[in-house]
Amino acid sequence: MTVAATNEAPLLEMSGLRKTYGGIEVLKGIDLRVRKGEVIALVGSSGSGKTTLLRCVNLLEQPTSGCIKLEGRVFFHRAGNAEQVRLPSAEINKMRSRVGMVFQQFNLFPHMSVLENVMEGPRTVLREPAESNRARAMSLLAKVGLVEFADRRPDNLSGGQKQRVSIARALNMQPVLMLFDEPTSALDPELIGEVLKTMIDLAREGMTMIVVTHELGFALEVADRVVFLDGGLVAADGPPREVLIRPPTERLRAFVNRFHEMAQLMKPLLG
Amino acid sequence: MFDWKTLIANQNLLWWGLLITLRYTVITAAVGLLIGLAVAMAQLSRSHLLRYAGRAFVEFFRNIPLLVWLLWSYYALPIFLGIDISKEMAGVVALSLYVASYYAEILRAGIQSIDRGQTDASQALGMSHAQAMRRIILPQAVRRMIPPLSGQTIIQMKNTTLLSIITIPDLLYQAGYISSFTYRPMEVYTAVGAAFLLILVPLTYLARRLEAQTAR
Repeated sequence: MTVAATNEAPLLEMSGLRKTYGGIEVLKGIDLRVRKGEVIALVGSSGSGKTTLLRCVNLLEQPTSGCIKLEGRVFFHRAGNAEQVRLPSAEINKMRSRVGMVFQQFNLFPHMSVLENVMEGPRTVLREPAESNRARAMSLLAKVGLVEFADRRPDNLSGGQKQRVSIARALNMQPVLMLFDEPTSALDPELIGEVLKTMIDLAREGMTMIVVTHELGFALEVADRVVFLDGGLVAADGPPREVLIRPPTERLRAFVNRFHEMAQLMKPLLG
Repeated sequence: MFDWKTLIANQNLLWWGLLITLRYTVITAAVGLLIGLAVAMAQLSRSHLLRYAGRAFVEFFRNIPLLVWLLWSYYALPIFLGIDISKEMAGVVALSLYVASYYAEILRAGIQSIDRGQTDASQALGMSHAQAMRRIILPQAVRRMIPPLSGQTIIQMKNTTLLSIITIPDLLYQAGYISSFTYRPMEVYTAVGAAFLLILVPLTYLARRLEAQTAR
């Protein structure tokens, strides 16, 4: 949550990002800059394009046009059908290895133990020796409170535990940026807290995070900025209190009102 | 009624036939699996041309009667290619390509049945396509493929009996030969049927054990 000096180059810079699916324009020209250490809550009603935008960051979705820079380096650039920069896939994989991602459906590897899941990225992608990898993986499992589950299979875990394992799996790559795609949407209500707690701890350690979420309480208390997407465009972008307490547009106000009571639920978790 | 002495007297021919049957089963299944894997990968590739070629391969061999294809490979293929191929080679080529089309479909369906999220998670970690296949997708897919692959291999062993039509001396060919001079087809074909059952029933059981083991 420590925001770096404003003059520093942004960690992530997206400009004019468009994405069309079978004739339907889901993203209609998004500009977004994320500085190191910032926590961005990406909110909006379903169909507003927030998940698509998040998946464009690490090119799990290929944008139709626009430009994406990570750490000052262009790794995607396409203007209309004209010039195009798309790095060779080895370079894209390298970029992805520096960006962690947490999915709504966890997507843990069911044929591996919890520990193997956490170790898999460094093992296969970075070819890191097992010793240091295991030590870091165990300390990450300790951090998310799951050391005693290291040898279990993901199937035997609750949803909240699975999501904490998937956070540890992403962190073990030592990413510079973490993407969360509705990390609590598939969870039973009583399990949401433990995942949010892990994310709050991470934010407080200074991790740069983009979080697609319906938890407006989390957005209000933890995020540095709230970005409200509406119909494929950024409809509001600012500090959470500005965007969520005094919504600048009628649509945003309607959206926020639906979620207002949830802010109350967050209070005890923030201690 | 049964005169089992006929079998004892000609057992060498039967054992020899069984060996030939097993040899063709193993060779054509192994070659077929390799070709099948290549065809499955072609069908899953990004290239339209490869996908189309893979599809065409599968449709051709799945829709031609094996007996017709086998006879054609033996009689017509050498003329078309202008080369002399032995009946053994024609048999291996025909049976391998045929089973490859079924294996390819099993492999393709198995790979495609793995949840899209597994690919997402692998890619998000920075894995290449090959790494994701090897570490994440195939280990999960293979589990699901074991039952249909073993089923197809059992069918393949039974299909090798068709080789007798191009005079490859497999178990069925030897049975026909023995019947022709002993006039005891009942005993001989009962023995052939029993031999297949004695080999395939335990194999089916083993495949099921293997499936249960990898599923945990």
